[in-house]
Amino acid sequence: MAASGGSLARYTALRLLLIIPMVFILSTIVFLLLRVAPGDPVSATVGGRLSEAALDERRAALGLDRPLIVQYLEYLGDVATLNFGQTITDNRPIIDIVQEHGGATLTLAVAAFVVALVLGIPLGLIAGRHRDTPGDLGIRVFGIITYAAPVFYWGLLFQLFFAGYLGWFPVGGSASPVTIFEVPDVTHILLLDAIIAGNTEAITDVLMHLVLPALTLGLLLSGIFIRLVRVNVLQSLKGDYIEAARARGIRETQVMRSHAFRNALVPVITVIGLQIALLLSGAILTEATFNWPGIGNELVQYINNRDYAAVQGIITMFAVVVVVVSILIDIINAVIDPRVRY
Amino acid sequence: MNRRRGLLAAASAGVLIASLAACGGDGNGGDGGDGGEGGESGLGAPWILGTTDKVTTLDPAGAYDLGSWTLMYNMYQTLLTIPAGENEPQGDAAESCEYSDPQTFTCTLKDGLAFSNGNELTSSDVKFSLERNIAIADPNGASGLLASITAEDGGVDPDAIETPDDKTVTFNLNRPDTTFQFVLTTNASAIVDEDTFPEDALASNTEAVGSGPFSMDQYEDGQQAVLTANPEYDGPKAPQSERVFISYYQQPAQLKQAVENGDIDVAWRSLSPTDINDLQGSDSVDVLEGEGSEIRYWTWQLGTPVGEQKAVRQAAAELIDRQAIAENAYAGTVDPLYSLVPPGFPGQVDAFQEKYGETNVDEARKILEDAGVNTPVNLTMGYTPSHYGPNAVDEASEFARQLEDSDLFNVQIKSAEWTQYQDLYKEGAYDVFQLGWFPDFLDADNYLSPFLVDGGFYANNYSNENVNQLVQEEQATSDPEEREKVIEELQQTVAEDVPVIPSWVGKNVAVAGPGMSGVEETLDPAFIFRLWTVSKEG
Repeated sequence: MAASGGSLARYTALRLLLIIPMVFILSTIVFLLLRVAPGDPVSATVGGRLSEAALDERRAALGLDRPLIVQYLEYLGDVATLNFGQTITDNRPIIDIVQEHGGATLTLAVAAFVVALVLGIPLGLIAGRHRDTPGDLGIRVFGIITYAAPVFYWGLLFQLFFAGYLGWFPVGGSASPVTIFEVPDVTHILLLDAIIAGNTEAITDVLMHLVLPALTLGLLLSGIFIRLVRVNVLQSLKGDYIEAARARGIRETQVMRSHAFRNALVPVITVIGLQIALLLSGAILTEATFNWPGIGNELVQYINNRDYAAVQGIITMFAVVVVVVSILIDIINAVIDPRVRY
Repeated sequence: MNRRRGLLAAASAGVLIASLAACGGDGNGGDGGDGGEGGESGLGAPWILGTTDKVTTLDPAGAYDLGSWTLMYNMYQTLLTIPAGENEPQGDAAESCEYSDPQTFTCTLKDGLAFSNGNELTSSDVKFSLERNIAIADPNGASGLLASITAEDGGVDPDAIETPDDKTVTFNLNRPDTTFQFVLTTNASAIVDEDTFPEDALASNTEAVGSGPFSMDQYEDGQQAVLTANPEYDGPKAPQSERVFISYYQQPAQLKQAVENGDIDVAWRSLSPTDINDLQGSDSVDVLEGEGSEIRYWTWQLGTPVGEQKAVRQAAAELIDRQAIAENAYAGTVDPLYSLVPPGFPGQVDAFQEKYGETNVDEARKILEDAGVNTPVNLTMGYTPSHYGPNAVDEASEFARQLEDSDLFNVQIKSAEWTQYQDLYKEGAYDVFQLGWFPDFLDADNYLSPFLVDGGFYANNYSNENVNQLVQEEQATSDPEEREKVIEELQQTVAEDVPVIPSWVGKNVAVAGPGMSGVEETLDPAFIFRLWTVSKEG
């Protein structure tokens, strides 16, 4: 990062190399935390039904009776070879879980991001432009509430009101059972598969199921965007170039649109990258609330069952995604913003 | 309750040596169906079952949970089955089965059995299925139920299963075991296609082929299963609908909302007592109840200074008010339980009712005084909030209140998360702690032997040589009347020694939307959701 040297290629290589220690540290923490927590997959699933001897037999069959260091080294070896193994409690390859459920999580994440951007950016711009007006105050309060309130709280409220009381949307799931059955699974992304199949009824059904989860998760992120964009607009409005534009007699609307707003949006790109982690953690809660068949929903079940292999595998996958996206954002920033030294 | 008691008592006659007649086999018999054609015409509309149960796998060698077994009961055949409303095993794939002695059990298969892929089902498939289950011994599976045909080293005993011809299977048991016929009704014994299933590994869900009334059309893990009437099936379980969808939910609240909103047609397992009460007031759905077999009980840890005192245990048994627990903690959605064995099983007696009667503080005080126990007794009570539902805390609070109201006990309630709880109760952190049980099969033995032999699976340090002997006797006795007497004596001994205090037996509850029929028929203690009995108008 020295100001004096290096190239973009070197900077990129260094950032990519950083993935290794980051994933290593995270994997180690996950491994240790799971072992520190009381219980194991055997006691969580069949405890209370079998004798201690029978439980021990099952632990031995799963290799859970081996020294921790042996288990750890084996786990690290597997991660290094990108072999995430298979779950303990239902014998599923981790990669299958990611493949089968990743599409649902991706759909939710993208839809939530769209909601967050569509709500957050305009509201942030309005709030910044009309500082200290009742509108600004209202938007700020809205932003704080959506950010501060737990995602499952909004989810439950939406379910009760829009699904239960008004009956406008389904309570949960990614589509009706008939849609899931009839749409051929090509990409593991149901919406995309419905579009490929040209099944308009299925597309509508999937979108209707997507509205409430996307709104719930999107609201969480929109609060961040509102506050960020508002602050940036306020900063921009204090800039000399704004003063200069006004002095040149440019119309106020054009000053806002072409100078203030445009500059205020640049930092949003950076923040989008940083919000990936928040998006994924929010997705876990949203999926659990709406019975959304994504990876997060699976993760919750495996955590409850103390399925070490599944939890380690899924969290490592999440970590890799977050780290890779963060580094990509860093690289994009370095490319588009000359002030970033590499 | 009387109806079931009568049914089960009648069913118990000739339970051991008797031949087990098949329930039909012409495709026209079952459940009021219009034939076993399994075709498009004449069958009800597709319908959706919602549940919070989780499915581990579709391979019978890899699962020991109700979510998986529910699908398997509808996809696979077993040699024997429990018809709705009964608990005597009857033929499923078997035309007849009989014990020639308590260690030899022989079954003859029906004619014309076939898997949904068209492969013929023979005795070789039966042998393959059971031996592969034992050989795989999956940690999540139920191969332990096949102990009577397992070699001493835990592997396959090549002489345990004989198949002299395509239709005959003989089991040579390694000990007298009259419960083996019940094991053959469970999915530990589900028959799989030897040409499809791997011999020494679990099959993938797409390889799961059975010969039951339904075949699996689609399985999306954690999301839904789609079962279609199996055209190869020609037995008494003729499906009433061409297709059934099963939707999986994470939370009972989601399940409740889904059935209220009409997203699903039937909700089965598990709605909370509060949800059930709430839905009972709804005009849009019907709450249907059948007899259950799931029990809750309070276990004494005899390894603690308090728990080891028989007088303390007996005094608590005098004080517990089960009806109040059922009403106050579970809103009347469960029934009081006065024995480890729920009502309806041959040999069942309400032993605690007989010995202790209604709540009696004076008698409890007398028991403690006679034993020289100082009162109030400081008692540590344990429960877990993360395994037995949200009402576990209400039950613990209610039981503690009952004990403290007598002025004979000071109760300290403690709780722990499920996995930690299991270590704590074995280590003696609680004098008395709450547990539950869901039977593997419908026989009184399954409510006795796991609990009473040398501390049981929960290691509560209870050991009574006479009880151990009685358990062996009931497992080996071939005379039904004699066996019932032994089972009675076991329950009475439990009431005397009080290693546990039975609390309640649950009901089998489903919530059905408009136009559904046949749901109530399957709600019985077997907890098999027989999808083939259910149909939807339209």
